[in-house]
Amino acid sequence: MAELPFNLLLVGLLSASVLALGSVRWKRALAFAAVFLICALVAGAVASLQALAYGNRPAVDLSWFAPLPFVLALDRLSAYFLLLICTVAAPVAIFAIPYVARHYDGRKQSGMWALLPLFLFSMVIVVASDTVFAFLFGWELMTLFSAALVMVDGADGERRRSIFTYLLMMHAGAGAVFGAFLLFLPHSPGLDFASLRASAPLLTNGVRAALFLLAFVGFGTKAGIVPLHLWLPKAHPIAPTPVSALMSGVMLKTAVYGFIRFAFDLLPAGPAWWGYVVLTAGAVSALLGVLFAIAEHDLKRLLAYHSVENIGIIYLGLGAAMVFNSHNAPMWAALALTAALLHSLNHALFKSLLFLGAGAIADAAHTQDMEELGGLLERMRVTGIVFLVACCSIVGLPLFNGFVSEWLTFRSFLAGGELHSVFAAIVLPLGAGVLALVGGLAAACFAKVYGVAFLGRPRSDEAAHAQEVPWAMQAGMSLLAAACVFIGVAPGFVLNLIASAVQELIPGAPAAGLSGSLVQLLPWIAASVAVICIFWLAVPRNTRVTSTWACGLPALDSRMQYTATSFSKPLRKVFSWAYKPDRTVQVLPLDQPCFPASISYRSVRTTSFERAMYRPALDAIVAAAQRLRSTQTGNVQVYLLYLFLALVAALLYMRFA
Amino acid sequence: MTLTVDVIQLLLLISVAPLLRGIIGRVKARIQNRRGASVFRPYADLRKLFRKEDLVPSTASFLFRFCPVILFAATLAAAAFVPVLHASSLLGNTGDFILLVYLLALARFFLVLGAMDGGSSFGGMGASREALVSTLAEAPLLLGLLAIAIVAHSASIASIVQWTIARQPFELSPVHAFAFVALAMVTIAETGRVPIDNPATHLELTMIHEAMVLEYSGPSLALIEWANAIKLTLMFTLLIAIFAPWGVAASLSFFGIVIAVAAFSVKMAILIVSLAALESSVAKLRMYMVPEYLGVACALSVLAVVFTAFAR
Repeated sequence: MAELPFNLLLVGLLSASVLALGSVRWKRALAFAAVFLICALVAGAVASLQALAYGNRPAVDLSWFAPLPFVLALDRLSAYFLLLICTVAAPVAIFAIPYVARHYDGRKQSGMWALLPLFLFSMVIVVASDTVFAFLFGWELMTLFSAALVMVDGADGERRRSIFTYLLMMHAGAGAVFGAFLLFLPHSPGLDFASLRASAPLLTNGVRAALFLLAFVGFGTKAGIVPLHLWLPKAHPIAPTPVSALMSGVMLKTAVYGFIRFAFDLLPAGPAWWGYVVLTAGAVSALLGVLFAIAEHDLKRLLAYHSVENIGIIYLGLGAAMVFNSHNAPMWAALALTAALLHSLNHALFKSLLFLGAGAIADAAHTQDMEELGGLLERMRVTGIVFLVACCSIVGLPLFNGFVSEWLTFRSFLAGGELHSVFAAIVLPLGAGVLALVGGLAAACFAKVYGVAFLGRPRSDEAAHAQEVPWAMQAGMSLLAAACVFIGVAPGFVLNLIASAVQELIPGAPAAGLSGSLVQLLPWIAASVAVICIFWLAVPRNTRVTSTWACGLPALDSRMQYTATSFSKPLRKVFSWAYKPDRTVQVLPLDQPCFPASISYRSVRTTSFERAMYRPALDAIVAAAQRLRSTQTGNVQVYLLYLFLALVAALLYMRFA
Repeated sequence: MTLTVDVIQLLLLISVAPLLRGIIGRVKARIQNRRGASVFRPYADLRKLFRKEDLVPSTASFLFRFCPVILFAATLAAAAFVPVLHASSLLGNTGDFILLVYLLALARFFLVLGAMDGGSSFGGMGASREALVSTLAEAPLLLGLLAIAIVAHSASIASIVQWTIARQPFELSPVHAFAFVALAMVTIAETGRVPIDNPATHLELTMIHEAMVLEYSGPSLALIEWANAIKLTLMFTLLIAIFAPWGVAASLSFFGIVIAVAAFSVKMAILIVSLAALESSVAKLRMYMVPEYLGVACALSVLAVVFTAFAR
């Protein structure tokens, strides 16, 4: 019986996909597919809650279908990430019902509904796999299905380049992940995680370090840590809205899952420098992610950069946990790991909500460009309110979920001051400074987003005539917003679930976290703020609607408002070292600079990584390929010579090795 | 009994907040050789504003009316964290400084949103500048408090105060010196005083806070101004509580409370007179000098944190 909900999840996802394919013939099948998908996700949430709360371990052996052992099983860590997938994907699926109906017709509709469950299925395989083959199978499928979903909207011109970048980087990352497992396997008696875990203590330090670095790079590429984030702001914005929500909210978390599985479960108790590597990557990603986000005015691309930032915050927590682990401080390691796990869930909730909100805006106002938006709150009240909730959450304001996980991260950095190692006692608390700076920048960025898109006057006709989106889209977003507020006001429930998962990973972790004080206070603060607000609004007052102060001029128009560009200008100026803009001013005609006929100004923000790191690497690869070309003569005799030489080399190797 | 004193000190904090503004104005006037208005004028201003009608711009959304009250409520919640008369407070025993700082951030976020809802360029200008200042002030504020928390082995403000009381005034480490300067600098930036922002200015080239609240009027404006006064008082009280808490009532006797009130008044008087003197003697910084000012605060707070590792 314990396996029923989990089996329902797997069967439900597959049958939803099959039904959607069948809808080419039978129209009504599409509705059934959506219902099946949502029911399957609810069953999955039940399965994961059972596993987390009662320690059920549903396992499904699918080895009969595969050439190698293929087992899906839920331990508590897997169950937590399964919970994350299901709780986020179900509202996104509800949102997708009207979205797909509005945007696609005929074959594309069934294509979307067939691919969405398969994409989710691949992510379920990744987090639930108990064998190496199952993990890698799911990992590869996840990339392919997500790319296919991006291509539903077409693949020409710029989009093709972005998708190509995405696939290329994903496969480079997957190469590192495969490499990590292939390096591990010769030392292990079996292909399941349990035998890997058992053989880990027998590895030499060199192999362990190589394994860690491969896993760090491989999963880091998928998670989008700087400088491996290049694909993220290219691929996420061009996907259909529900898919960008799932890619940013959920798919990145599978990489976090994979990394936690490696660094805390398969290869536990690494040296302190592993932790510092992760901390550094987290700090750099968080800071640069938010800085690049501030400069963006395309809503979806801005959100994609914020994913880089939030993955950075998660990695800060993970790094702190690894440092604490290496210093034998399980209590604080548990605190930091709890922070990372909770932030993964929180980010999944508010980021998918933000992407859905951005999609709703695009549907209503037909643009993603913030400079064309404005005044949407009065025109789309529900979307406006849930988007505000998401903004407050991602900024980490109290009473919203982002705060709880950032608070935990802060507290774990604070605890770092108690370590005996002087280096750790300096570095960890300074991590709190990075987090504070990132939090401040994120607040500025989302004040810009919300203020420019939803408040003030509409900056274009389309924004002025925006209409609220259909109720099912509102419902999907409202569910996510409710989850954000619930975790923000009463985090105790989720923290208990996480504590059980953390205990499996960190021996000696306390059953109840250190978050008691916050759990106690937040409901009180929420209640008192609510009471003051209600009291204030209940008191009758004279209110008169007038025009905005216009310095005595007749009237303001929407072009006189502060724009997103002007809002972010001071910060961009202060942090100009991160942007390195290419500016060109051209005055025409050239021979008369004092009496120009036209002046054009062009400023392109370049990510310095692209120039500094990727260009030389790319050039080197192309050059190497050119060099190798000379070996491909097309002459059969030469290839026979190659075969012969290879054979001789193999024989020599067998003889002497 | 503890609870009563906690409530009384919270009420004291929010009720004397306008008075402190009045005193600062008066002292500044005296330094500038003017007579100045009565110290009670801020109360009269609030009373006048609360009786007036609320003017709402036609383009503003319903959020415009919510922002002042959320700002006020969050500031009030933050004020419940700081101990004034004894080494305890309503929320400061269980709550820590991180929550306090983020409640202020919540207040500020909604003030910024309210400013952008007016639909004029003033609001956006003020909001953009406030975003710059507060972004850069957040790190030194948290790091300074964090350094003290590490030394005191506790994050709750009440226990930090208790830890400090148990020490002699000159027994404190260099951590405290660095953290004090950093936090004092941040306090000036956060509360919008000269040299970062000038509360008396109405010149669009320079104003930050005044630009943000330009569209507010009547009771909404009163609420914002009051919250702003509370924030100033709260930051000063926090400085007193962390760096010089001596004199707070150890036991809750009548005599102890009287001494505590007297000690608090003296310390607060020193702080606001020095603020008034500072505001009268330095010029406001150019907008793009603010990052350098806050950079100094940030460097000091980083030093404070570094020294915690050696101060054990």
